[in-house]
Amino acid sequence: MLHYDALVVGGGIAGGEAALNLANTGYKVLLVEKDRSLGGKMILLSKVFPTLDCSACITTPKVSEIARHKNITIFTESEVTAIVKKSKNDFTAQVTKKPRYVRVEDCTACQLCERACPVSVRDEYQSGLIGRKAAFIPFSIANPKAAAIDIENCTLCGACEKVCPTHCIDFTMETEYYELHVRTVVLATGFNLFDPLQIPRYGYGQHKNVITSMQMEREIAPTRPYNTILRPGDGKVPDRIAYVLCTGSRDATVGNPICSQICCMYSIKQAQLLMGALPMADVTIYYINIRSFGKGFEEFYQQAKGMGVNFVKGKIGKITEKENGNLILRYEDINEGVVKEAEHDMVVLSVGVKSNPTVGKMFGRDELKLDPFHFVAQDDLLGSPSKTNIDGVFVAGTASAPMDIPDSILSAGSASSEAISYLIQHQEP
Amino acid sequence: MASKLNPTFSEQLKKYGSVNFNACYNCGTCTAICSLSTTDDSFPREMVRLSTLGLEDEIKKSLKPWECYYCGECTTHCPQTANPGELMMSLRRWLTAKYDWTGLSGLFYKYLPAFLTTMVLVFAGVLFFANSVNWELERLLHLGHMFERTAIATVFVVIFIPNLLRMWYFTVVKAGVKVPFKTYFTALNDLFVHMFTQKRARDCDGNHFRWLEHMILVFAYLALLFTTVFLNWFSTENLFVIVLGYLESAFIFIITADFVKDRIQKKQTLTKNSKPSDWFFVIWLMLMGLTAFFVRLFIDFNILETSKWLYIIHLTVLMQWALIIVPFGKWTHFLYRSFAMYFAKIKSVKK
Repeated sequence: MLHYDALVVGGGIAGGEAALNLANTGYKVLLVEKDRSLGGKMILLSKVFPTLDCSACITTPKVSEIARHKNITIFTESEVTAIVKKSKNDFTAQVTKKPRYVRVEDCTACQLCERACPVSVRDEYQSGLIGRKAAFIPFSIANPKAAAIDIENCTLCGACEKVCPTHCIDFTMETEYYELHVRTVVLATGFNLFDPLQIPRYGYGQHKNVITSMQMEREIAPTRPYNTILRPGDGKVPDRIAYVLCTGSRDATVGNPICSQICCMYSIKQAQLLMGALPMADVTIYYINIRSFGKGFEEFYQQAKGMGVNFVKGKIGKITEKENGNLILRYEDINEGVVKEAEHDMVVLSVGVKSNPTVGKMFGRDELKLDPFHFVAQDDLLGSPSKTNIDGVFVAGTASAPMDIPDSILSAGSASSEAISYLIQHQEP
Repeated sequence: MASKLNPTFSEQLKKYGSVNFNACYNCGTCTAICSLSTTDDSFPREMVRLSTLGLEDEIKKSLKPWECYYCGECTTHCPQTANPGELMMSLRRWLTAKYDWTGLSGLFYKYLPAFLTTMVLVFAGVLFFANSVNWELERLLHLGHMFERTAIATVFVVIFIPNLLRMWYFTVVKAGVKVPFKTYFTALNDLFVHMFTQKRARDCDGNHFRWLEHMILVFAYLALLFTTVFLNWFSTENLFVIVLGYLESAFIFIITADFVKDRIQKKQTLTKNSKPSDWFFVIWLMLMGLTAFFVRLFIDFNILETSKWLYIIHLTVLMQWALIIVPFGKWTHFLYRSFAMYFAKIKSVKK
């Protein structure tokens, strides 16, 4: 039986920040991450608004610090399946750790296995824009930086095993189950991006040059797949790029009537980066309202306007594809009150934020209170925003609501200080 | 020019069947998704906006509510579930009430009891009339036929012509449209094309079958009207006319029965929010077809003499139809829709 002071569920920027704060105070922390690397969604981003700082340059050192901290134990590819509160300061948690088929401590990330592997599949870390192997390093700045075997797609040919110089590939690994005791829990399970296949009239998945904002994020990130901006249909460098704001946000027809809080700003950020990367390109943002509510946001919006980004008030109704791969966007120009059609050669759907439904399932039936949109409910929003309805369980980042990176980190700070306070108040018996 | 805002307009419009349009946040999805909306004529968001603000005069000037054929896409895709399709429907009811100089249309739309009372009064009138001729079938049939002609002529002269003139005054004159007089003739083509084909409804995506049904219904209805009034279907010996009448009335009740079924099932957006005016219109049309069919059948089998009740029912339905539903109910959309396209054509000439 393992004992920790704190269990942090989720190794994104919020979970990582909360874990660091707890660990720096001297508490033993177990950080559980379901993916193969720490860093969550932020580590995959290009730059962040409104400062245009390099996202990877902020995330990577932070993740390294977490990974090397003596008070933090990390379980990647692991999921918390159940949390039960036994007494004030005793929670039991069941954790399932899936096999990586690579002994991380022996792997040198030499990539020989990657070269040997004959299987090619879409690379989820590049949002499906390019392929990867079934034996692969998740991405260049992943942490832990070690190979992993995608067993779902692996043909068990053994080619990787043969070339591995350290013999760290081990197909006999099995799923491990842990039961552990912790004294407090921080939930930082993050969010899911809206799946635009739910809006067929936007043609995502059918029109080749309609992509999501996360795909565009990859195209402009330092670790980008193409090393330039291309449209995926035919590899042409786009001249007229359109952004469709509120794709899957503020839309009751897809069950998500709330604002995602980040799409306006990340689209404006991407537009500015595109103006830099493709100086001759026209970038148009179709919006309902621009919500530039945070510190420096309005200035950032005005800066984009000043750079020549075109802002059009009107939500896109439908997108049709021309034979040459260009796209016709039909919308009502709200300022003029007339229907218009515009041709663009690439369309970016600014997809919204949805809750991560797995968080509720860790607890017994209806034990953890969720809000109507399945985010973790904040019982005392103004007094102690990190408290959930369960005493000793705290929430950090986008697990509680859509929010941007500065707010996620603030929220993680709040959750970790609440957790520390809880640990002090409920010393071991 | 100063605009007059009516802050109670949305409350008023609720009585005509509007739902939730105040939820609109002006994204324009409805207008962009609409198969009928064009750069020259963009709707329905403009109408939603005008209704939210209570700009009655602007709405009265507009032909756009009539240019909408309720395909329902706007309502399906509205992110705020503001139901723009139903708003357009209720605006058509509201406009019908505004065009009507007698004010009865508005009264019947807003107060169901008033409508029902009038329907009962007409029924009582039929019974009184039948009693006054001692229930003699021969005289009943003769006077019923006479009445039909008189009613049509009267409704036309007293109700329709003034109301259409009012519509013209609101939408063309007050809207400040000045066109050469000959335009009124050159645009006539549009009036008749739309009146008899409702071709705009065909542009609704995926609604072709309904359009076809509706067009057949219109032809069958007009033909039956002609057959009974001018060819005297119930008294004729001409086999061709008899068979023609059977066919027409059968078409009417078969198609209307299908429409009633749609309204009960509520599968299409169009049929989800049926108001009493919709129900009475379609059911009374169905009853017209059905009772006319059986009256002629009973005549052919020579049993009408012993089953006068059937003719009394038919006459009641006919009277209620001709005196209430046609002049003051949903029937008028036949005229207003086609005249709206005619006026729209005239307006477009100006540009």
